Amino acid sequence: MTPAPPTVRICYLYPRLLSVAGDRGNLFALMQRCAWRGIRYSVTEADVGVVPDFAESDLILLHGGQDREMTAAARDLAAKAGPLREAIEADAVVLTVCAGYQLLGQYYAPPDGPVIQGLGVLDAVTEGGPTRFIGHVAAECDLGSGRQHQLTGFENHSGRTYLGSGAQPLGRVLAGAGNNGEDGTEGARYREVYATYLHGPVLPKNPWLADHLLSRALARRYPDFGPLAPLADGVEAQAHAAAFRLARRPAGRWRAAAAAVSRIGQPLRAPATADGNAKIEAKETRWTSR
Amino acid sequence: MRTVASRPPARPRERSPRISPSEQARFTLALAGGKAAGTASRVLRFGGGTSFPGTVALRIDPRFLQKAAAASDARKVVVTGSNGKTTTCRMLAALAHAGGLMVTQNRTGSNLLQGVTSAVMRGIDLRGRMDTQLLLLEVDEATLRSVTPEVRPDTFLVTNIFRDQLDRFGELYSMARWLEAVIEALPASATVVLNGDDPLVASLAPGAPARRLYFGIRADGAGSQVPEHAADTIRCVRCQHLLSYRVVHLSHLGDYQCPGCGNARPGLDVAVTAVRPLSDAGSEITVETPAGTFQLHVPLAGLHNVYNAAAALAGGMALSLPRSLEPAEARQAISGLRPAFGRLEEIRAGERQVVLAFVKNPTSYNATLREILPRPGPKHVLAVHSNTVVDGEDFAWLWDVELEQLVPELASLVISGTRADEVALRFKYAGARPAVTQVLPDRTAALDAALTGTPPGEPLYILAGYTPMRELRSIMQRRGWVPPSWKE
Repeated sequence: MTPAPPTVRICYLYPRLLSVAGDRGNLFALMQRCAWRGIRYSVTEADVGVVPDFAESDLILLHGGQDREMTAAARDLAAKAGPLREAIEADAVVLTVCAGYQLLGQYYAPPDGPVIQGLGVLDAVTEGGPTRFIGHVAAECDLGSGRQHQLTGFENHSGRTYLGSGAQPLGRVLAGAGNNGEDGTEGARYREVYATYLHGPVLPKNPWLADHLLSRALARRYPDFGPLAPLADGVEAQAHAAAFRLARRPAGRWRAAAAAVSRIGQPLRAPATADGNAKIEAKETRWTSR
Repeated sequence: MRTVASRPPARPRERSPRISPSEQARFTLALAGGKAAGTASRVLRFGGGTSFPGTVALRIDPRFLQKAAAASDARKVVVTGSNGKTTTCRMLAALAHAGGLMVTQNRTGSNLLQGVTSAVMRGIDLRGRMDTQLLLLEVDEATLRSVTPEVRPDTFLVTNIFRDQLDRFGELYSMARWLEAVIEALPASATVVLNGDDPLVASLAPGAPARRLYFGIRADGAGSQVPEHAADTIRCVRCQHLLSYRVVHLSHLGDYQCPGCGNARPGLDVAVTAVRPLSDAGSEITVETPAGTFQLHVPLAGLHNVYNAAAALAGGMALSLPRSLEPAEARQAISGLRPAFGRLEEIRAGERQVVLAFVKNPTSYNATLREILPRPGPKHVLAVHSNTVVDGEDFAWLWDVELEQLVPELASLVISGTRADEVALRFKYAGARPAVTQVLPDRTAALDAALTGTPPGEPLYILAGYTPMRELRSIMQRRGWVPPSWKE
C-alpha cells in the first residue's frame, strides 16, 4: 500500500468575519504555491459557531477585522480556545494578521469600549491609540536560520502592541510603525505562530514567508519531506520591491526615525491630535508621489 | 413629487451674516483669480479645469466656498457614499431639470474640496451671484467634513457605505461616524435621504432632527439569499448579531433583519417594486413613492444603477420642485441618460471598440465584472491602477475582487499604472497565464498594446482606477475618440 500523498491541511478561521483588507490573498498564496508544486492541500473554513478539528490542521489562518468584528470574533474564539491552544503548543503553524494578532495576545484595550480579552497565546498586550498607523511598512526578519529576509506590507491599525519576554518580534522595522511606532518591532513569533500587522496581503508579497509556513507545516506532519521546489517568483519580486520602495519614501523613513529617537530615551511622539483623523489628512498631502 | 411640491416652496432662509468689506474684497479677488485660472487651463489645455480654479480660489480665500454658498438662494443638495455618487447626481440633475430647476453641479466626478469649489465657481458670475436654482454636489466621504458645514445643504443623500480606500478613511465605522456628525448637524428643515437597504446607512444618526426619507428595492425576484464575499456590514450595527437577510440585492444591500435585537430594514418611502432587466443592458423598473408610482427605464446596466435611480427619485422628492413632475417626464429624463464617463462607457477607438470601466473598490469592481462576464466572446482586458491622493496607496482590496471568475475568459491582458506590480501579482494568483499577460506601466504604451492585442470587432475592456481612467480618457480624447469630459 502506498502512503497517501502529502497534503497541507489549511484551517481558515472566520473567512467572513475577519476579512477586511484583502487578507484572503494569504489563503490564495498558500493554495497556489502548493498547486504550482503539485502539493495537495485542503481548506477547512470555520466561521462563528464552528469548532474545527485543530489537531488535524497543519496551517491555521486568523486575519484582521475592525473593532466590531473583532469583538464578535473574541466572543466566539473563547469557544475555540482550548483546542486551538493545544494545537499551537503542538507546533501547528499559525499565520495571524492585525486583529487576529491582537486576539492571540493577552488583551486589546480599545480607546472607547470595554477591554477585549485575548487567547493569551502570545505574550503581548495591545492598547488603543489616538491615531491610526496607515502606510507601507518595510521590515527585516531573521527566523532563526541566520538569514535576513525582507518583509513588506501595508499597515492600518490604531492598536499599539507591546511584547513581553515570552514573545519574539517577527522583525525589525526599517520604515513604518510596526507594533507600536516606538520600539521598532514588527509582529510577534512564538513556537510556530507568526503574527504581523501587515496586510497587503502579506504572503503573496513575501513569498519567502509563504514558503516558510508551508515547509514548517509539511515538516511537522511529514518529517521526510524535502525542501520545497523553487518557483519563478519574478512578479512577486517586483511587487515586493515596489512596496519596499514605497515604504522607504521620506514619510515612512521619518516615522521610523522618530521611533528610533524615542527608543534611545527621548520620547518624541507625534503631536497628539484631538481628532485622530487629522494625521491621516496631513499624510495625504504628502502622498503625491507617482 | 407632487406631495412635496405642495409644501410651502419659500422656506424662511437665514440671511447670511453680513461680511466685512475686506472679506468681501478677498472673496471677489478669489473669484476673479479662480475664473481666470479656469479660462487659462482650458485655453492652454492642461486639463478640463475641474479642480484647478478651486485650488486657486481657496488659496486666495480659504472661506471662499462658505461665502459663495451663503450668498446663494439656490437649493443645495450634497450626495455622498462609497459608490454611485456620480450617476445618482446625473439622474437627480435630469429629474430636477425636468421639474424646472437650473442646476449647477460638479459633473465630472471631481468630488474633493477643490473640485466642489470649482463647480460652485462655474455657477456664479463675477459679482458672486448664482443664477441657477439647484446646487448639486457629490462629495467624497473624506472631504465631507470640510465641505458640508460650508455648503449647509437642505438635502443630504447617502447612497451606500462599502469598504473603499480604508487607507484614506481608516475604518468603515469611522467613516460612518463622520457621516453621523454631518447628519446630526443638519437643521430640522433639512431632509436626509438614506439607503434603507444598507444596514449601516439606514441606522445613521437615528435621533437627528432632519426629516428622513428611505429608498430601496422591494422586488423579490432580484437578488440572492447570501451576501457575497466582499460584503461589509453583515452584522447588526446595534447588537453585533449576524444579520439575517430575506433577500440580498447587492453585497450587503437588501432586506435584512437582526435575529438578536429585531433591528430591521426601515419602511421604504421610495421603493423599487419590480426590476425587469432589458436586452440593451438597462432595466425597466417600477418605483412606488408617496407621490405615485413611476415606471422608469434605467438605461444603465446593473442593479447598482437601479439603486442609483431610486436614490435620485428620493432626492427629487426631498427637493421642492417648482412644479410637480409627471411620471412620463421623469421617465423621459432618466431614460435619456448616457453612462457617466468611465462607467462602462462605450467608445469607438478607430477600428476598435473600447468599454471603459472605472473600478475603485471590491463592490464596484465586482459589479462591473457581473456586467462584463455574461457578454459573449473572449475577454481582452487592460487593468490599470495607480497610487495617487484620489486612488489611495493600499491596493489590498484587489484580493477581495472575484478576479478568479474573469481569468478563465481572458484572451489577452495588459496591466499598467504606477502600481502595475500589485495588479500583476493579483492576476498571477488569480491564475492569469503569463503567455497572455503583459505588464507595461506607461499608460500610452499599455493602451496601444492592448488595442493591438484586441482583434477588430471584439471589445477591449479597460478596468481602471480614477486617475488612470482619466489619463486613458485624455489620451483617447487627443486621438479624437471621446469628447472632453467637461463638455459632457
